[in-house]
Amino acid sequence: MRPIVSVRNLSKTYDVGQLRNSSPTLREAIVGAINSPLSYLHHRRNGAGKPLRALQDVSFEVEPGEVVGIIGRNGAGKSTLLKILARIVKPSAGEVDIYGRVGSLLQVGTGFHPDLSGRENIFLNGAILGMKKNEIRRNFDEIVAFAEVDRFLDMPVKYYSSGMYLRLAFAIAAHLEPEVLLLDEVLAVGDESFQKKCRARIKAVSRDGRTIFFVSHNMKAIESLCGRVLLIRSGVLYEGADPKSTINEYLYEVAAADECNGASTPGAAHSLESRDRFRFQTL
Amino acid sequence: MAISENASLSVSGPPDPSASFPKDIYASTLPPAPLIKIRASKKWSTIELKEIWAHRELLYFLVWRDLKVRYKQTVLGASWIILQPLLMTLVFAVFLGKIARVPSGSVPYVLFLYAGLLPWTFFTNAVSSSSHSLIASAQMITKVYFPRSMVPLAAVLVRLSDLIVASVVLGMLMLYYGQPFTRAILLAPFFIFQLTLLALGMGLWFAALNVKYRDIGTVLPVLLQLWLFASPVIYPASLVPDNWKWAYQLNPLTGIIGGFRASLLNLPFDWRTLLISFSITLVLLVYSTFVFKRMEDEFPDVV
Repeated sequence: MRPIVSVRNLSKTYDVGQLRNSSPTLREAIVGAINSPLSYLHHRRNGAGKPLRALQDVSFEVEPGEVVGIIGRNGAGKSTLLKILARIVKPSAGEVDIYGRVGSLLQVGTGFHPDLSGRENIFLNGAILGMKKNEIRRNFDEIVAFAEVDRFLDMPVKYYSSGMYLRLAFAIAAHLEPEVLLLDEVLAVGDESFQKKCRARIKAVSRDGRTIFFVSHNMKAIESLCGRVLLIRSGVLYEGADPKSTINEYLYEVAAADECNGASTPGAAHSLESRDRFRFQTL
Repeated sequence: MAISENASLSVSGPPDPSASFPKDIYASTLPPAPLIKIRASKKWSTIELKEIWAHRELLYFLVWRDLKVRYKQTVLGASWIILQPLLMTLVFAVFLGKIARVPSGSVPYVLFLYAGLLPWTFFTNAVSSSSHSLIASAQMITKVYFPRSMVPLAAVLVRLSDLIVASVVLGMLMLYYGQPFTRAILLAPFFIFQLTLLALGMGLWFAALNVKYRDIGTVLPVLLQLWLFASPVIYPASLVPDNWKWAYQLNPLTGIIGGFRASLLNLPFDWRTLLISFSITLVLLVYSTFVFKRMEDEFPDVV
């Protein structure tokens, strides 16, 4: 079968010197140290301009209908890979060909405007996620039903409870109709019953023959959803013989790292903004 | 595959015809050439009009959002669009018209002033809101793909719609002062078009710079204030000494605002200035698209 996504020798290097001036003036140094002490210290220790390799020579092919789980420790390069596939970030080298439309859901509720009503935000957010107007109109009732917000449809979303807000945001995204769908940790929202609904929806989408990339730290979700699992280790791709062995490889890696660092702080690293995330790992 | 085993899961939406058939459908309908090609960024590239056209519905929604939100948030809503140039006209009419007695030729000074402040208000608002637009949409830029140039473009279009509304007042003022509507008025939309291109050029440029150097946001109001006084908005270009004329013509607003006013108030056109102004507008626009495109790839990292 022909692949729908083909990734060849993909690399992404971040030039640290470019992000933070290589010879900062006093003012910049002070401001930099106050704003982001972590990256500043790291920067000091490693010297300016040392390139950071977020992805190194990654190649793989994905066939239509596959659900691909992407796992790896914080800062390994999962999000970078997803962002390249989503065209948010450009690669430093390598090529990607995608034989279909791509919808990305890296965060629920991107572009929601608090002052606009639920109805208006469905159209706005749908357009931002790449839906056509008539596509949104066609799915409108279904989105509203899925989100269970029909009574509050004409109320500004700033008055929504956080649960309603997330449900609406996910409902819109769940009705995207691209051939390739990119999901980043979106299942971490909502209560158990809503998460179940989301998982069911993902399965339904994949049964339609659409291809899904799914980044998560939740190995249970990965195992139940994904027919294929890719592990990224410090920017390098690893794929075992089957999903189970790849997941085990990852769990082993995490356990080993925990032993080294004592109380390693995946939780703290998680809350860092994505730019600092990959630095944290090399600290 | 684990997925097809779970056919019993209840899913909202139309019932699935079958759990096993469709994969080949997508496979057999795969396009011969990739729809999306992702490559490392090139050194010299410019904004792709094709991409913007493909995302025109999003552009429409971005403009629609800004208009909707504005009417929801402010009490006076739409009336600000008319009030802003009108109040400025009032202030300048009193201080410059009555006290400093700035000459405006055969036309009443208030009319002269409004015909200048109307395009100026559009220009200054368009440049400043598009300059801030990228930072304001940082969340979107780091999470979704779309041509980034659409964000400042949408900001300019929103302001353009303001201009169209505010020009109703211009028509009323012309009626009030008994200014005849001549055939030259048909040229006015062209000058607005050129002004839109200039605003877009400056907006793209400053928006890109503003992402990297936040100082731009502080400097810009001062710069725009200076630009107001360096353009024939509140005084006629004829007040500029002859030996400075050449420098004055290099300001593209000299031609645009002079031309817009001339087309409305039936004044003679200064063709040489118009030509210089148009060329400079185009050069600035092309230059800024290259600058924007070059910095575009860095936005998600820097914003």
